[in-house]
Amino acid sequence: MDRRAFLAACSVAGLGVSGVLGRALFAATQAAADQEFFVFVHASGGWDVTLWADPRNERRGIVEPGSTDNLDTTPIKNWVDRKLDEDTNTFEIVQPKGCNIPFGPGIGRLVERADRLCLINGLAMNTVSHPDGTTYSVTGRHLVGGRVVASSIDTMMANELGKEQTFPSVSIAFPSSYVGDDLDRRVVPLRISNIGAITRTLTRSERWETSADRDAVTTLLADEARELAKHTQYPGALNGLALQYDALRRMLGSGLSEVFSVPALKSAQPSLDYKARFAGNAAINAAFAVEAMKRNVIRCTSLAMGGFDTHTNNYRQQPVVQQELFGLLHDLLGVLDATPHPTKAGKKLADHTHILVVSDFCRTPQINVAQGRDHYPNNSALVISPRFKRNAVFGKTDPDQLLPVPTRTFSDGARAFTPADLLATFVSAFGVNPRKYLRDGEVVPEWLA
Amino acid sequence: MSRRAFAVVSGVALLAACYHPRDTIPAVPVAALPGHAALTVDTSPKSDLRMVPTEAYVRTYLALFGGLAPLELQKRARGADGAQLFDTWGDYLATLGLPDYKTDLPRARETNALMLATFERLGAALCDRAVEHDLRGSKPRVVFDFDAPKELDVTAFTPRFDVLHRTFLGYPEKLAPGRAARFFDLYAKTLTRHAGDAGKTGKDKPKLAPNEAAWAVVCEGLVRHPEFHLY
Amino acid sequence: MDVLRLEVGPALQFRPPSTSLRRVTILGPDGKSLYVYYRPNQRRIREATDGEFCLTKAETGLSFPPNKPHVGSAIAVKQEALDAATVQIKPWWLYRDYRSAAPVLRYGEAWKTPDVGYQPIDELLLEADEHTPTVAVRVCKEEAQGAESGTVYATGRKPSKGPPPFDRLRPLPLDDVYAKANAGKPIACRAGAAVSLSVDCGCGVGLERCYPGEGFKRDGKAFVMPSKTPLGVDLPFDQAEQSPSDWMKLWWTQEAVRFLGKVFRENRDFREVLTARWSTVNGPLAQFYRSNAAANSGKTKAFGLVDDGEPLFDPGAVPVGLLPHDVGTWETVADRGPHAAGILTMPAFLTKYASRRARGAALYASFLCKGFVAGDVMLMPSTEPNLMKRPGCATCHATLEPLAAYFSRVVETDWRWLPEGPMPTLDPRCKLDASGKAPGFCRDYYDPAFSSKTEGMLRGAYASPAHAAGGPVLAGAELAASPELGTCVVERVAAGFLGRALDPDDATLVTSLRAAFVDGGYKIKPLVRSLLRSPQYRSANNLASKGTP
Repeated sequence: MDRRAFLAACSVAGLGVSGVLGRALFAATQAAADQEFFVFVHASGGWDVTLWADPRNERRGIVEPGSTDNLDTTPIKNWVDRKLDEDTNTFEIVQPKGCNIPFGPGIGRLVERADRLCLINGLAMNTVSHPDGTTYSVTGRHLVGGRVVASSIDTMMANELGKEQTFPSVSIAFPSSYVGDDLDRRVVPLRISNIGAITRTLTRSERWETSADRDAVTTLLADEARELAKHTQYPGALNGLALQYDALRRMLGSGLSEVFSVPALKSAQPSLDYKARFAGNAAINAAFAVEAMKRNVIRCTSLAMGGFDTHTNNYRQQPVVQQELFGLLHDLLGVLDATPHPTKAGKKLADHTHILVVSDFCRTPQINVAQGRDHYPNNSALVISPRFKRNAVFGKTDPDQLLPVPTRTFSDGARAFTPADLLATFVSAFGVNPRKYLRDGEVVPEWLA
Repeated sequence: MSRRAFAVVSGVALLAACYHPRDTIPAVPVAALPGHAALTVDTSPKSDLRMVPTEAYVRTYLALFGGLAPLELQKRARGADGAQLFDTWGDYLATLGLPDYKTDLPRARETNALMLATFERLGAALCDRAVEHDLRGSKPRVVFDFDAPKELDVTAFTPRFDVLHRTFLGYPEKLAPGRAARFFDLYAKTLTRHAGDAGKTGKDKPKLAPNEAAWAVVCEGLVRHPEFHLY
Repeated sequence: MDVLRLEVGPALQFRPPSTSLRRVTILGPDGKSLYVYYRPNQRRIREATDGEFCLTKAETGLSFPPNKPHVGSAIAVKQEALDAATVQIKPWWLYRDYRSAAPVLRYGEAWKTPDVGYQPIDELLLEADEHTPTVAVRVCKEEAQGAESGTVYATGRKPSKGPPPFDRLRPLPLDDVYAKANAGKPIACRAGAAVSLSVDCGCGVGLERCYPGEGFKRDGKAFVMPSKTPLGVDLPFDQAEQSPSDWMKLWWTQEAVRFLGKVFRENRDFREVLTARWSTVNGPLAQFYRSNAAANSGKTKAFGLVDDGEPLFDPGAVPVGLLPHDVGTWETVADRGPHAAGILTMPAFLTKYASRRARGAALYASFLCKGFVAGDVMLMPSTEPNLMKRPGCATCHATLEPLAAYFSRVVETDWRWLPEGPMPTLDPRCKLDASGKAPGFCRDYYDPAFSSKTEGMLRGAYASPAHAAGGPVLAGAELAASPELGTCVVERVAAGFLGRALDPDDATLVTSLRAAFVDGGYKIKPLVRSLLRSPQYRSANNLASKGTP
């Protein structure tokens, strides 16, 4: 039985996978996944799916489509006018020949790579709060009393596949969380506000102490931590610290600090658009991801891009923000296609890099009094991964109110997809037992390649 | 799927049916459980060691540097010698785990390797500048409140180490059995590594004399110590 | 602060047209570059420049499109044209004694000891040649006016076809409904709409109601100020040149920080956080509250409301002696006015949580330690506008909507109070017509979904007109009276001291701490005293507890 058949059967049984046999089967799949890389992107603020993933170009129910009345359409390269009323134009659906997914114009240049995309629409969010929506999208759990109660997807993947990497999980303004048992302290997300911080943090002068001096200190401290751990009832933090001292030694020994300076990254990846108004910083972060993957020193890169929270007439720029985000992903795929995998001969990074793009939730189908769109409890997500179906769209929303509708039966009956389903399916694609990290959600085998 | 595969999967399914993530069971006070009402309350710690809040770390760091304001400290640590001992605070605040309320980035509650790298960077700046200041005759001494002869055995090392130990970790070194010996070993090996420094010139010439480098390394071991960062 | 996170992010820009001066560069009569400050949309008697820069393209060779670089080729302006349209002023940002008839105490010169936290950027201290110290700024005459009140200006102008006259970028401004109805009537110059409604309202004495910026953009830089302050604004970790918007957002946050600090430091009743009418202000905040530059003031004109008739912070309560440069001087204002309620009516809270629902949810989470979680309900399409009834939505909104209603009268993304008089909760002017539509001017403030054929419903008020009427003051009072407040405060404080989240085994501790806190008059000291004496605190850091060898 192959992995898909196994997951499909489990799903039919209405269960997450666990138990001894489950662990054995997952382990077999996981063994083949230890040379994979992950890029997680958070479109921060809540995107308008009607402009890209779940396009709406007619007035129906409560839906007021994006139009020349409410958007700056001039910079939108995929915008083709379509009559909405006498003096207003909306857009034509973007769906080139061979593309199975109808897009809105916000998809930008990424539509050229539609054959790589797996789109999930109609994700039921059940929240319109930024902190809650963000947390739900990346952990599969809502906040409880304002607290995050589960690890984020980058932590899950790093814990399974990245413990030995120099940088198991680098989190650049991404809503990463490290919560739960059975987590290795080495995979605590390396949180930074910008990539330049890595270089500056790792830079050392050799004219004071030498590398050997510092290494001796770190070695001693790791021993101290382990020694202290022997004498406490709760050794987890101390043993974890010892592992992190070891990781620090590797990090400093890697000689990578200059490689990850911003000028070096720009120079190494000239094809990314660092001057983009909204995605310029994200482009630097993407360049870091590529350079780190190229050297096989990272497992997960998580990054965020803002500009989507458009309640007022800043909604006019929503499609430009989308166009820049998806343009960046288009360019990133181009780089991954051209870059050899560091350990798999004959393979490119694109063959083993898995990108998940999520947002807090989507925006209302109505235009509000301030000419913007507010928060709405529906969502879409994008997966670009060789382990997921390509050129495919799943899930849907109702035509009048943009609310998620059931398209499938789960163990608890017919219901719409949820972020927990998406995350469960994502981790399962790499042989990880979803139940280790996710309380909710079921694997959806039909999404998998 | 074959019948055999189906059978396997069914077995897995049965096992999985028994599985429930632990937080699906609502937590209740121990005393509310049948038969537990009369149990003695366990007053032992209920959680692992925690990271010292970053604000506390930074305030302590400022105090150890002689009570300077952050921007003064930045200026002093960077120095005028192009030594690359310190960049700007802005480069370190996020990696130290401070929250950013403007962007709603929450505070980090656990250490990570990059945070330890930042501790090392900050620790080196503190100890190297303190060595320059304290061990070359400037008064009042801030960190190294003792003289530092070039030759030291473990007996002479220990009381000096005790000064640093009390400063950084807040208690006498003798309460941490064996630590003075381990740090003396670190001190001595550093001296050995730097034994050939005297012949270096120009760009290769070290900023610190061998015994200064050795004390700086000991200082860094304490300002980066697990007991300095966890409580 | 980890709970409320009262720092406003970059998405919100404080730059009201009425208080934002732009600076453009023209060629002076001597052919040298010359800075001139002006407000876009400023009404002027001179038709050619009405609502635009005060010198025409014919006079300068330049046009000044909003927020963009000038276009055209500069020509030297004639002295008489320059003198007719502009005047030199010794502004507040340069002079400590800007309120005097002949200011002499210039920053960095005779004014020798400015507050260390007050530092205009060099570009504001030097002329366009970049080395001559600026001793006075040139500003359009209308903006330079110092009166406290003016009159509503109406031209009787008719719309005209064809390109704008006088080489203008925009057509000549027309009289709106308010101007037509109120022409010649007095208007307070501190009103946000005064810039576009009068020709005799300027920026006040020494331009004190306005903020400078280094260039043509709306958010030009103006001050060197702390940009990273994890240990407080007095211990900055970085300094940067920033705009007046950043300047004011910093001080909004500091008002809340100082306020909370005073509550804890002076061991005051914690409930004052939700109910107090007092606050503390420094110079920049005094200037801000005096100028009363609400972000959104134009749309209420249709209701006869051009200024903040019942401000959340009474400008009359602002200490007169505090000058904009008094960054480090904080004074207590005993009574901000009848609508004030602790932090709930501070700009930091109202802009961080910009919408009614966000504000309600923030109160629910921060002060009652509760969150809105819908669970696994499925949201079905429905035409029910009432979210308290709509299937699925009701799970959260039955609670949230009444909380949001407390903020129905505080404009979203703003700190402006909508008074009951001109804007009643139920307003017949905003009733629905036969086709179910309300008049256009009602759309921003009245919700057609809850309006009837006889009256319109104030937005957000439908869930609880009583909450809407009571506003944040009622919200604060009701939260303060809630038994859950004490428990929530205790849990937060205890978790902070213990360094861990509380769990059900801490129930006894919470009960005893709550009793100490509530019986102690909701003061922090009795709570902390009780906590520090608890066995849980004493053993929280005990590494050698039982079972350890």
